[in-house]
Amino acid sequence: MSKQHDRMEVERRLTLLQLLIFLTFGLLITALVFFQIVAVDEYVGLASRNRLRIIRIMPPRGIISDRNGAPLAVNVRTFNINGYPIDLQQSANVEKICALLRRNGIPMEGEELKALVAKQYSAPYRAITVASNLTLAQVAELVMDKDFNEALFVSPVWRRTYPAGPYTAHVIGYVGEITKEELETRKSIGYRGGDLIGKNGVEGVYETQLQGNAGQEVIEVDSKGRRLREISYQESERGEDMKLTIDLTAQRYAAELLEHYRGAIVAMDITDGSIVCLFSAPTYDTNPLTWGISSKEWTELLDQAERPMMNRAISGAYPPASTFKVVTASAVLEHKVVSTSTTVRCPGYFELGDRRFRCWQRHGHGSENVIKALRDSCDVYFYQVATWLGIDRFIATAEKFGVGERTGVDLTGESTGTIAGPAWKKRRIKENWYGGDTVNYSIGQGYVLMTPLQVARIYAAIANGGKLFTPKVNLEKEPEYRDLGISKEIIDILQRGLQEVTASGTGRRASQYGVAVAGKTGTAQNAHGEDHAWFAGYAPANNPKYAVVAIAEAGKTGSSVTGPMVGKMLNFLVNGTKYVEPKPAPQAQTSAAQ
Amino acid sequence: MPEGSRWGEVRRYTDYAMLFAMLALFGLGCMSVYSASPMSGGVSVYGSRQLIWGAASAVFYIAILRIGYKNVFVATKPFFVLTLFLLVLLLAVGYTSKGAQRWFNLGFFRFQPSELGKVAFAMMLAHVCAIKPPTNWRNILLVFLLSGVTIMVILVQPNLGSSIVYFVMMFAVILAAGMSYKLLAAMILGGLAMLPPLFFMLQPYQRTRILIFFDPYIDPQGAGYNVIQSRIALGSGGLFGKGFMHGTQGKLHFLPEPHTDFIFSVFAEEFGFIGCAVVLLLFALLLWRIISTAKYTKDIKAKLYCVAIAAWIWFQMTESVMMSMGLAPVTGLPLPLFSYGGSALLSVVIALAIVQSIFVMSHEDRF
Repeated sequence: MSKQHDRMEVERRLTLLQLLIFLTFGLLITALVFFQIVAVDEYVGLASRNRLRIIRIMPPRGIISDRNGAPLAVNVRTFNINGYPIDLQQSANVEKICALLRRNGIPMEGEELKALVAKQYSAPYRAITVASNLTLAQVAELVMDKDFNEALFVSPVWRRTYPAGPYTAHVIGYVGEITKEELETRKSIGYRGGDLIGKNGVEGVYETQLQGNAGQEVIEVDSKGRRLREISYQESERGEDMKLTIDLTAQRYAAELLEHYRGAIVAMDITDGSIVCLFSAPTYDTNPLTWGISSKEWTELLDQAERPMMNRAISGAYPPASTFKVVTASAVLEHKVVSTSTTVRCPGYFELGDRRFRCWQRHGHGSENVIKALRDSCDVYFYQVATWLGIDRFIATAEKFGVGERTGVDLTGESTGTIAGPAWKKRRIKENWYGGDTVNYSIGQGYVLMTPLQVARIYAAIANGGKLFTPKVNLEKEPEYRDLGISKEIIDILQRGLQEVTASGTGRRASQYGVAVAGKTGTAQNAHGEDHAWFAGYAPANNPKYAVVAIAEAGKTGSSVTGPMVGKMLNFLVNGTKYVEPKPAPQAQTSAAQ
Repeated sequence: MPEGSRWGEVRRYTDYAMLFAMLALFGLGCMSVYSASPMSGGVSVYGSRQLIWGAASAVFYIAILRIGYKNVFVATKPFFVLTLFLLVLLLAVGYTSKGAQRWFNLGFFRFQPSELGKVAFAMMLAHVCAIKPPTNWRNILLVFLLSGVTIMVILVQPNLGSSIVYFVMMFAVILAAGMSYKLLAAMILGGLAMLPPLFFMLQPYQRTRILIFFDPYIDPQGAGYNVIQSRIALGSGGLFGKGFMHGTQGKLHFLPEPHTDFIFSVFAEEFGFIGCAVVLLLFALLLWRIISTAKYTKDIKAKLYCVAIAAWIWFQMTESVMMSMGLAPVTGLPLPLFSYGGSALLSVVIALAIVQSIFVMSHEDRF
């Protein structure tokens, strides 16, 4: 043995090593004591949470149907193909999975798949969606493919579809993924990220009722999130079905009538405020919104000058124009400023101070009382009586009729319109209210703005003897109304005036479609282009059932464009049949048969 | 050529405590591998393969006892040169597995030369330090050169874990061989100064592993995932464990590589603190007997060889146990005798056979 080694020193060193070794055992045992005995509860908890996954089971939403039971919003079972990034990122898998998908009719390229994974990636073991909206047939084919492997799995999803699509878009609304803001306010009532929520229309207003209750399934998974077994299952409760007051055939008819116009048609049952038809043109299809549209398509929906997503029937505020004259008439009669025997001479203009306000009839109407003034839509009569009345009393009546307040319809996005008046003008424009403003106000021009639905319920109130209903689309909802407190005499006068309009006045054309209509034309001055055409009326004139309002933006005159729309719609609602032109062209027949 | 040991001597002088510790650790290891591995037709895939490897290793163990460690040491230089050659060859044509070239694919099994290389390296270290004691700079530099080359070829595989094992073995041998504490202190300081540049030489995944060690929750679903899951497995085992085959963490594949790297976590989950303490005591017994053998023999080469083997087993055991508690970075080193892996098991059994032979033959020398 080498003499260079100090044997005693080597022995000492070996003892030192022995000591070091036993020291490490001491440390290791101490650490084990800490993790396995002291902190055991924490780790036992972690271990059990680790392998449990709670899966939300979304129930199908309640089905929405029209008053006759025609489906307006239903659910379809579709399937998503999911996978875990940890599997999908393996380059060996990418091409194989793409080939598998392509072979089964799902276009997918390697780069596309990689981009999908990158976009949804949050953790290697958190599932992402590879393809969505597949049918059962597609999924069955895919799963039976010999190359379908455990890197992919299928999950069923309920998708909302709207069979009537564009015809009911503004009434039904649509569902979409819950936003961060929505989640904040709704987390406490059971919503979770990724849930679908009604965004608009009936879907939005009756969300709570339609949503149902999510169930949950607790499963045991392995580290890759793959299901091993079920621990517990709590059934979801499907949402409540809903029946609407809407009549789908009326919606389709309204779409047909408004085919070439931007505008809206609203029809209301005068006895309970039920909305039978509420259509806004142009419309849009809600289906792509729930199934996922590109941001480009979305921008198109929002940015178009046509604004298809705007519900013109309740969100569009227009000058009510001559349709407002019933409010003026009611105000002056109520406040006893005039009676039926009070006449105003119309020379074609009205002078207030040094300003001259023209009647639409340049050569004048001659001597007019309230009924004749309604019939002829004589501006000068209303200029005069409103000036006698004064703006404050006028505003009081307008307020009573619900001008400037939401009707309370069970839909989203309703506009209040503008009631205007001296206080409002001071606040908004910082100017005083002049006599000229009252003159303009009397014929529904100037600052006053109303939605078609607001106008409709005023006409319904005149037709039903003074009950201002809260419009509703939910068939189950109890009718609500406010009594206007207008005497029967005044109602009679207004009704007679409106009957005269269609019998011998400006709205004659409205009564040519099979039912006697009482109503009022309107032509709203539009600073941005052609005048908007209004018609508001109800039928049958002597025993009213429905009130209908139509507006056509840039439709020029109410008498020729919207009058026939309202006439035809009222005829359809009262008689149940569409008006057929006396000498039907082949095309008209086809469309009538639809 | 020196004589070997006759069977009678082997039977009479064998250190049965060391043999028992080895067999017990292998047995418990097999149980854990059995529990951690996927089942195929009612048979645990890795569990049964590990038994076959155990049988093969036993043949080597007995053969080495009969041949005698002195005859084995005769082949030190060629064995070491062959090991170096294989490691370099591996870099050239190595089978790529999980980004690291650590295996030769021999068709029926994958051979990992860095494992058997530990035995060759221990023998070579003992040889050099016995002839040229690391008590002066020249001899120390010789050992450094020899070890440096070996460690580099393993480090570039890249196999950080194994290269650290080699380093620890070298360090333990020169410490035992009588290197002065002054030089030792200088070496430690130099080593510490080397750490920052070394860190940047590491592969990104190695760097992440080290960073994750300091805070596993940096990336709980990614690289830190393993550490967290392993700690949960071990911690949830509690005092008595969840019972054999009842570990949830291992069974549900939360633990990565449960049959190799994280075998101790699997065991700890199923057998709890009591089981862990038994395993640690068995390792302590084994290491105590190895160092005792080093003290017992008069052959300085054999002494230093025993130290190298003790350092190897001690480091891998400590690293593996600490890793499963999340107290050390994930290196992928097997727990000796315990983890699944043919090359590793065979290598450690051969190394222990030589130690046993040293024990047996030192009796022959005495009497």
